[in-house]
Amino acid sequence: MNGLRLGNVYKAFGSVRAVENINLDFAEGELTALLGPSGCGKTTLLRMIAGLEEPSGGAILLGGRDITALPAHKRRFGMVFQSFALFPHLTVRENVVYSLVISGTSKAEAMDTGERLLDLVQLKGYGDRRIGELSGGQRQRVAIARALAQEPEVFLLDEPMSALDAKLREDMQVELRLLQQRLGITTIVVTHDQREAMTMADKIVVMSQGRVEQVGPPQDIYHKPENAFVADFIGKANFFDGVVEQGGVRVGDTLLELDAAARFLSGSPVQVAFRPEMPHLDAEAVPGSRLQAKVTFVRDVGPVRDIHLQTEIGPMVVEYARGETDRSFAVGQETAVTLPPDRLLAFPRTGQAAA
Amino acid sequence: MSAVSEPEGIAAPVPAAAEGNTPSRWPLAQVGLWAVILFLCLTPFILIFAISFGHKIEGASWEWAFSLANYQRVFVGANWPEEVTALYLQKLYYSLYYAVIASVLAVITAFPFTYLVTGRSRRAQSAWLVFILSSLSLSEVFIVMGWDVLLSNRSGLPMVFKATGLTDWLKQVGWFDTLRDWGLANPRNVKFKTSVSATVLTMSYLVWPYAVILLYPPLSRLDRSMVEAARTMGAGPWTVLRTVILPTVRLPLMGSVLLLFVFLLGVYVAVTVFAEPAKQTMAVSVYEAVRGNTLNAPFGAAQAMVLLVTAGIFLALGQWMSRRAAS
Repeated sequence: MNGLRLGNVYKAFGSVRAVENINLDFAEGELTALLGPSGCGKTTLLRMIAGLEEPSGGAILLGGRDITALPAHKRRFGMVFQSFALFPHLTVRENVVYSLVISGTSKAEAMDTGERLLDLVQLKGYGDRRIGELSGGQRQRVAIARALAQEPEVFLLDEPMSALDAKLREDMQVELRLLQQRLGITTIVVTHDQREAMTMADKIVVMSQGRVEQVGPPQDIYHKPENAFVADFIGKANFFDGVVEQGGVRVGDTLLELDAAARFLSGSPVQVAFRPEMPHLDAEAVPGSRLQAKVTFVRDVGPVRDIHLQTEIGPMVVEYARGETDRSFAVGQETAVTLPPDRLLAFPRTGQAAA
Repeated sequence: MSAVSEPEGIAAPVPAAAEGNTPSRWPLAQVGLWAVILFLCLTPFILIFAISFGHKIEGASWEWAFSLANYQRVFVGANWPEEVTALYLQKLYYSLYYAVIASVLAVITAFPFTYLVTGRSRRAQSAWLVFILSSLSLSEVFIVMGWDVLLSNRSGLPMVFKATGLTDWLKQVGWFDTLRDWGLANPRNVKFKTSVSATVLTMSYLVWPYAVILLYPPLSRLDRSMVEAARTMGAGPWTVLRTVILPTVRLPLMGSVLLLFVFLLGVYVAVTVFAEPAKQTMAVSVYEAVRGNTLNAPFGAAQAMVLLVTAGIFLALGQWMSRRAAS
């Protein structure tokens, strides 16, 4: 196959459009994360790709072949469900080889494949156990092995980590990514966890209200968000409303130096955004807008420190990674924050945001 | 400090009067409750069991005794050892025969209906459940009367068959003879009563709402993503049904069949109306012995005990099969 393509795919439930005209390419062997808040249409989109939901319009092409009307059982895309959907009446091995048994594969071959897949997901020796005897992480591995048994052309995962605890989730993200890279299988993961998407994906599709907001590699999505929603949803960001003026942006009484302001007409209402790790505290030599600030709160969570500041343009958070600076900050301390002009983002303010 | 004083307050000693009341009253109440439950549950069975050994006085009532003659009559006939008759075993056979087929038929037909209902919106599910529950208010007599009219030769389906030309068509294609072989036609027209089919159909209809209600909880709890998972692995609808849905709910299915079967062993009105006299059940025979023409309560009680033990054996068998399936 030569990848999966969605052309103008949309889904309407009555008068409600759950997914708006989506055009996406999923390259062969690539892992793509569909990322967005609950109800943004990412699971509906995945279900349409799997054949479990019929698109209201548009086309789904696999290697140039239109599979839009093909039922789910004829697509044979491996899918891992949020609940794992393992069969409780079967053993671990019987679950894994289910697709092979129903397709008429010989018992010996199915058992060999089952053992190989259980080995692949590090569950060797668990074949005879019942599903009820497994932990959450082990169940997820069984679900992955089961979905891979039929050697699917596309591997779909619907919030596969949501049932796992935080530590296990982090471990499984790395494991799943390594497994996917080893198998080189085209994979689409639905998640609402931006950290999960950043860890695993070659490409992230950020969705909101049924629409695609931005598509790109994780670092581009993080550092070059195309709109305020993406900047807000991916990672943390400080936001300030302002108006473009004299090549900068005026926020309250302060004129901020901002490279991105050049893209706007003077007088345009904009939202200025920057990541918490971008500003510098008490750094004389750094070019940029320098604001007086007072420390209001310090949140030390080990690897990073969040320093909450009250400035002349409003409250903001500055983040220092452990080891980045040895300076200590105390509540009530006076300081100065410098905002580098090339690191500040500007997005047009429209509708309610502009009011 | 309240943190110290509160636990003290909580653990304050119970007043002596209350302390004295608690241990003496509750055991007495519990014993009383158990006595009532045991009396209500066991007394009828003990009485029937005792009466089953009694002796009928010809032309009068019956008297207490300890004789196995009634059980002998059920299993080998009254004239044993000179003659062995299996009349009452035959009635027991028909009791089992009708009950097995009708309970299986009810569950088989209720299953797809319930599965579809549990896949609908909550509002639709509620509406269906209210409808099904309200149908339970119809008594066996009313249901049998309705089916009696529907299947009667003069005003029911046979008349419709005749009037619409369906009977003639069945004769032309040769299927009419097959129906006659099955006892569902006379030389002139189709006839549905009296017949085994009508009996089983009516009995099945009688317990169908119960089958839906019994299957509703397990099917509404069924994780539908398992069905979708099977579909993504190449399973068509029938394969999904065979390999995922039925095995997942096999225990509730067996339990439902078993419960309906036991219930149907005691059906009386439907059998008296739709079954041929030679194919009547033990429940009918029990009624005839106790309240009908023969007025032989000890013999009726013996038959009732045999029916009860048979139901118990089937329940135990079902439980054993369920355990085996679960393990």
